[in-house]
Amino acid sequence: MKKLIIGILLICLVLSFVSVACAAKLKIAFMPGIADPFYFTMEKGAKAKAAELGVELIVGEYPKAWGPEYQVPILKALVARGDIDLLFTAPTSTEALIPVLKEISDSGIPIITVDTYLGDGDYTKPSNYNFPLAFIGTDNFLGGQVVAGQLALMLGGKGKVFLENTNPDVSSVMGRELGFRAGIKMFPDMELVGVEYCLDVQETAAAQVNAALLKNPDLGAVFGVNVFSAQGAYQAITSAGLEGAVKVATWDATETLIEALKRGEVDLILAQMPAEMGALCVEWGFKYLTEGAEIPRKVIPGFFVFTQENVNDPEAQKYIYK
Amino acid sequence: MINYNKTREIGINILRRWILIFLVGEIVFFSIVGTNYLSLNNLQNILVASTTVLLLATGETFVIITGGIDLSIGFMVGFSSVVSAKVMVDLWAAGFSQTLAITIGILTALLLGLIPGFINGFLVAKLRVPPFIATFGMYGIAYGFAEIICNNVPVHNLPTSLGSLGHGYLFYWLPGKILSFLSKPENLSREELKHLVSIVPNVTVIAFIFIGIFAFILAKTKFGQHTYAIGGNINAAERAGVNVKVHLIKVYMISSFFASLAGAMYVLQFITGRAPAGSARLLDAVVAVVIGGASLSGGKGTIMGTVIGALIIGVLEIGLVNLSIPTYNLHIAVGCILIFAVLVDQFSPEIIHKEEEIR
Repeated sequence: MKKLIIGILLICLVLSFVSVACAAKLKIAFMPGIADPFYFTMEKGAKAKAAELGVELIVGEYPKAWGPEYQVPILKALVARGDIDLLFTAPTSTEALIPVLKEISDSGIPIITVDTYLGDGDYTKPSNYNFPLAFIGTDNFLGGQVVAGQLALMLGGKGKVFLENTNPDVSSVMGRELGFRAGIKMFPDMELVGVEYCLDVQETAAAQVNAALLKNPDLGAVFGVNVFSAQGAYQAITSAGLEGAVKVATWDATETLIEALKRGEVDLILAQMPAEMGALCVEWGFKYLTEGAEIPRKVIPGFFVFTQENVNDPEAQKYIYK
Repeated sequence: MINYNKTREIGINILRRWILIFLVGEIVFFSIVGTNYLSLNNLQNILVASTTVLLLATGETFVIITGGIDLSIGFMVGFSSVVSAKVMVDLWAAGFSQTLAITIGILTALLLGLIPGFINGFLVAKLRVPPFIATFGMYGIAYGFAEIICNNVPVHNLPTSLGSLGHGYLFYWLPGKILSFLSKPENLSREELKHLVSIVPNVTVIAFIFIGIFAFILAKTKFGQHTYAIGGNINAAERAGVNVKVHLIKVYMISSFFASLAGAMYVLQFITGRAPAGSARLLDAVVAVVIGGASLSGGKGTIMGTVIGALIIGVLEIGLVNLSIPTYNLHIAVGCILIFAVLVDQFSPEIIHKEEEIR
């Protein structure tokens, strides 16, 4: 037994000398939030830009579910490679990722948060989360307001609406909720009758929207903040036989949701620009690493609204996540 | 003849220690193929990432040795994480200091966590409910209560110092300058931060303190002997004067204690409490125990074996991430290792036992 252990230790020792560091291309790492088309599209945008600039893009494994318990172990293993020059990531919690990313930042790897942010996302003021170089992502508050406005337009400025959200500790979807609340308030005859959180589980979303429909038979529309909540909402609406009567608005132009829009299951989709976000992260990261360029603390790409009228326009096709 | 005996002996030794050799083989493999796999940083990551499995598997080892199984631990992690997080949030909001709120939160979860274990043990020992059914029932009940307590939403707004605890280390060492115990040295320059070496993660320290204590209890005390005796032959144990019923209740309480501890560690690391936390780790924990040499029919198993079993899974998991291989391959690999472990267990005992009889 002793000999075995000594043998093991010797092997370990030898191997630790063997590990060779080869300095060549700049290496930028991307740690996504969850395995879904939004982040796949972001990776594609980032990859294209990386190839253009001659940067190596290392992509962390896509977590199977949303949450720090899935993301943090992968993130730590990714960074432990020790050969990464810059990291861009979508933190899956505004609070839980602060200490983890702080440690990475302290170890000398600059960080950009993409799509979601830490704390309240304002990295300019003194706080324990102001260490990332920048936040690159959609203005979710504005987007929420736009959805509210569009729904009000569809409903003729009056009616009851319901909000199906996912996680209360994620910056992006909470931004959408706050924006939506503010947007609805601008219309005196519109009323937000409830908000529920489905934690990215479609079945939960369906059950919650179903309960809302029972409580409010005259419900006019549901805003599902992402693909799971929107599809859950649609599921509940069809099983209640109310398709068409209750409008569904959602976020993210995945092919699944675009198909649903074409079939009339969804009435409105707000498309973000994930490919552009990925490309921006690589581009700004590259400029920061090579020229020491100062990155704006907040970079906000725009968005595009799909409706049944414009979904087949050739102009609109480029906004679909592929 | 001598040669034959010699090879035979080596063969048996390899078979006995195959899990240790397997673990080392894994590490060697990933060190060669991976990027900086064998760095202090990454090895510590493996330990941190294995915390939940290590704790669950240690408690489960006791239950499996008695010939039972505890399925409730999957959702006991979530239950305990939600309870402790909720207590922390409420106490902190009520004006308690962060340290006090965190301590009381963890203690409450650990104490409350003993109740389901007691009920499991009571059902199994006194009312003769099969362990599979009793603990499977508790699995659902723990989940339901956890969802009720957190209102189906992950607990948030936790004390901010949790992160520095859960992601903190025992020592911080700036080569040649500072050696700091428990707290990260302040006012370091960026350059100095880069060279700061962090040694031994706090959660790993806590986990191994408890694992060590219970490894001692199992291997060296009367309590441990009785645990093996019950698994070996429950009637014989009873005749020999072991209070089997009380003992079984204690064993199930140990198991749920470790699950609660895993829940508390979850809160320290992820700064939230979630009802499904750790449920995905139930299977890994049972697998770790079985790989570690325990038999589901009872009477066999060690904490050392279980720890190695858990590390085999952790090393593999982090290794796949290091190589950018999707971790669903992990499930295939773990499944194969599990079946292999059981096969070794089935075919080797005769050889090994015979050999021992001869000696």
